[in-house]
Amino acid sequence: MPQAADMISLSFLSDSERERILEVLQRDEELRQGEEHRVRKLKTELLDVKRKGAKRGSGKYGQRICGRCLEPLSRLTFFSTQCKTCNHHVCSNCRTTLPNGSWLCSVCAKESDLKKRTGDWFYDQRVNRFSETPGHNLVKVSLKKKPPLKKRETTGEQLLRNTEINPDPTFPVPLPRQKNQTDNKGHSNENSVASKESFESKEDVGSKLTCSDTESAENASLSSNKTDPESGRITPEQPRKGKQSLQSSPTGSTVSSLTIPVKTDVVTVDTNTEANTAPEVKPVSPSPELDVDRLFKKSLKRASIPPESVSTFDLREAIEAPDASMGNRSRSVPGLDVKEAEEEDEDIDSLVSFHKRSMASSSSSLHSSKSALGSTMSIYSEAGDFDSVEVSGNIVFSMSYDEDSQSLHVFIKECHGLAYADASRQLSNPYVKCYLLPDKSRQSKRKTTIKRNTIDPVYKETLKYSISRSQLFTRSMLISVWHHGRLSRNAFLGEVEIPLDSRDLDSPDEEDVALMSKAASTAQTSAFAQYKGELVISLKYVTPKKPTTEKTKVKKREAATEPRGELHVLIKEANNLMAMQPGGTSDSFVKGYLFPTKGKSTKRKTPVVKKNLDPHYDHTFVYKDLALEQLREMCLELTVWDKEAMLSNEFLGGVRLSSVKGTVKISKEEVEMDSVGEEVSMWEKMMQYPDSWAEGTLPLRSTMRKEEGD
Amino acid sequence: MTAHKPMGDVRLGLLVVYFSIINLPLPGGSSYLVDIVVITMTDGDYDYLIKLLALGDSGVGKTTFLYRYTDNKFNPKFITTVGIDFREKRVVYTASNPNGTTTGKTFKVHLQLWDTAGQERFRSLTTAFFRDAMGFLLMFDLTSQQSFLNVRNWMSQLQANAYCENPDIVLVGNKADLADQREVQEKQAKELADKYGIPYFETSAATGAEVDKAVITLLDLVMKRMEQCVDKPPVEPANGNGATKLSEAPPNEKKCAC
Repeated sequence: MPQAADMISLSFLSDSERERILEVLQRDEELRQGEEHRVRKLKTELLDVKRKGAKRGSGKYGQRICGRCLEPLSRLTFFSTQCKTCNHHVCSNCRTTLPNGSWLCSVCAKESDLKKRTGDWFYDQRVNRFSETPGHNLVKVSLKKKPPLKKRETTGEQLLRNTEINPDPTFPVPLPRQKNQTDNKGHSNENSVASKESFESKEDVGSKLTCSDTESAENASLSSNKTDPESGRITPEQPRKGKQSLQSSPTGSTVSSLTIPVKTDVVTVDTNTEANTAPEVKPVSPSPELDVDRLFKKSLKRASIPPESVSTFDLREAIEAPDASMGNRSRSVPGLDVKEAEEEDEDIDSLVSFHKRSMASSSSSLHSSKSALGSTMSIYSEAGDFDSVEVSGNIVFSMSYDEDSQSLHVFIKECHGLAYADASRQLSNPYVKCYLLPDKSRQSKRKTTIKRNTIDPVYKETLKYSISRSQLFTRSMLISVWHHGRLSRNAFLGEVEIPLDSRDLDSPDEEDVALMSKAASTAQTSAFAQYKGELVISLKYVTPKKPTTEKTKVKKREAATEPRGELHVLIKEANNLMAMQPGGTSDSFVKGYLFPTKGKSTKRKTPVVKKNLDPHYDHTFVYKDLALEQLREMCLELTVWDKEAMLSNEFLGGVRLSSVKGTVKISKEEVEMDSVGEEVSMWEKMMQYPDSWAEGTLPLRSTMRKEEGD
Repeated sequence: MTAHKPMGDVRLGLLVVYFSIINLPLPGGSSYLVDIVVITMTDGDYDYLIKLLALGDSGVGKTTFLYRYTDNKFNPKFITTVGIDFREKRVVYTASNPNGTTTGKTFKVHLQLWDTAGQERFRSLTTAFFRDAMGFLLMFDLTSQQSFLNVRNWMSQLQANAYCENPDIVLVGNKADLADQREVQEKQAKELADKYGIPYFETSAATGAEVDKAVITLLDLVMKRMEQCVDKPPVEPANGNGATKLSEAPPNEKKCAC
């Protein structure tokens, strides 16, 4: 298994030098982790503010009511009450004045403030530069599959991950932005003009290659070496071409520890089926010139973990479900995959509308607080139906994170004063069950033993979850107590839900918490239940190939015979998606509709990117024969889905881009053009500047239904 | 490496003392600590993480410059930097209006100051870090004509590898205290800086002269860029979409590409 699949090789350094650099990178990592935590907190704050603004997104409310707090607006100030970003009318209390004297509504102000504080202004700009190839030839772009680029990833992070002396079995290079790296490498000579050329030529090399087989990947690696002015680098890359599982690059000295039996198997299989899986690999793998990385990526593809969970691969689970993963693999034969995609189409459609109609009973999702109840219910229903009793008593537990085993330990000590499941017989056989939400699958379930005939059971048992620390921020721990009815039904005795985003997992203090009934505890769900991650996309309206004068004619006359332009939607990547599958990952894809036409003609889908919470799709949807004017009345809906093998796909979030507020009737359904904030500004930017990309990072909505509170 | 240990405490959330230093350069080559601000900081208790990076030829004094800035100390020994390193410092930034008046709003800024090796052999490594920095201290040695001539090369390295074509840069001529060995005249350097449209400072890590000013000026540029980026993105002209154009943007032009 090629490790250190990395573009900047440290192999030219001496051991002591490398050590020093690693030390630096380690410090950087610490800083970055703190920063990551801070950023997550900020995003949660934004969500809170958003939720308070009841009218956000809806056009259906009186203009004389503040769009944020719903208080009536003063008549006198009516004309100056519109927020210039989201166009909502807001009262003076819900405004934030900017340094330049203008103002924005509280949500928009928070959004822009967040962009600054999180550094997104910087990363957004950087993404433009590094992941964007000149956008003239889109087809080429989407064929080439630009290198995945994790927006916030830094060189240090990447280097560290690739060179770290780390006994942990899984530290794959998650999403190496190889192109940038080759870019950088290309510039390592003194002459920048020359280096620009070498960069270009590499691009060309890349685009010529079909990125489907190993051969070409190897060629690519050769050619990039050729263009690489620094001969030193060739050395470390060469061994990787051999695809040996133990490679000799000094930076990869930890490789041996990587080959844990289970994984080795997986990897081997993968490598062998490389040819078959290739087409599917495309979306995941970096662009063809990405030599090493590509190989690494491929061979690790199934076994690897999304970046968030760098060290979380739960081997136990991998062992549990080898069949499942084999099944996945066999499905990746191209022909089969296509068929399958067709089959699940309608399924997804009905699901979308299902989501729009009622979110309550979905067995899958967590979305908004309303539906959270429904989904929580589904957890219980898993155990069949159950009796409910008046909840009473406390539970004593502690939680800590064990760095050595990269796992979360939940120590269930005891319970006091539980309710009797069978009041007449004064009987309870309690056990404790945990779920690491939002994963409600069996993989996430842990149980203690059952204590017989007691309402003060003492367990002193530790339940463990293999998960990376960084991933915990989006999780919460659901601890429930159940009565085990040997012959009768189980009974629910109470539960607590502990959000892990702001919890100190380093000092395992015991906690004594009162158990709550279901409704009460779901109400407290962490704001992260709302945070579904982000989608990074670019939009471009491509004007028809006629002179500009002709174009304006089209606009004026709406002449159908005139050539019309195209809308290009480049789905770049998603970040921080919810984990829906074992091992804390998701196999996701993005689906698009261009309303008002809902149906096959406007439906577009990206390929599925497997086992990744920060998937890179780099796929372009093209909508043809559109006049710019038409777009004003249109609405682009993009939804992200987790692909489930046997079950219906699960909704991971979505966005809706449009400029107009109001509803569009699509057959029987009314779809609201309820775009907000950046969804609107991106759409408008796209229309404002035809033939240039409007790029943006959009927060995923937790539901495509109307906002709550309308 | 050892010099960084105190900074580690910042992240551990301990009580951290940090200094807002105003250096008064004295003829004797020493400086006074004028103002000390003590603030309790906990982990992540800052408003912005700003990443700056120092680059330039080997031996121009990047490391000592940063050491002076963060610790207000001077180490005359030349220890070549291995690849990359960074130092940290918290400062309080006071936002100002476009017209220059302060708004009174202050922010806690955590500065991560990347130090890069000037040596050629580390070049591939160091340039890779350019893309992660929001602003740059391009340094040369006032006593070395060659290091000044190389500024041009560093400039093009930056333009090729930074997060955008025209990142915020401050040109720094270091070792201003060694007046008798001076090879680069202020006028020369100023002209070059003007050509690139970037500020120029003559600093001395030995005396501390202008060190703070250079960094703060850069920070100010970055903060202004940030405001610009976020507060009025949609009004940018079409060529402001960095997505499509990688072509020749004049390096000195303040243009937001987002």
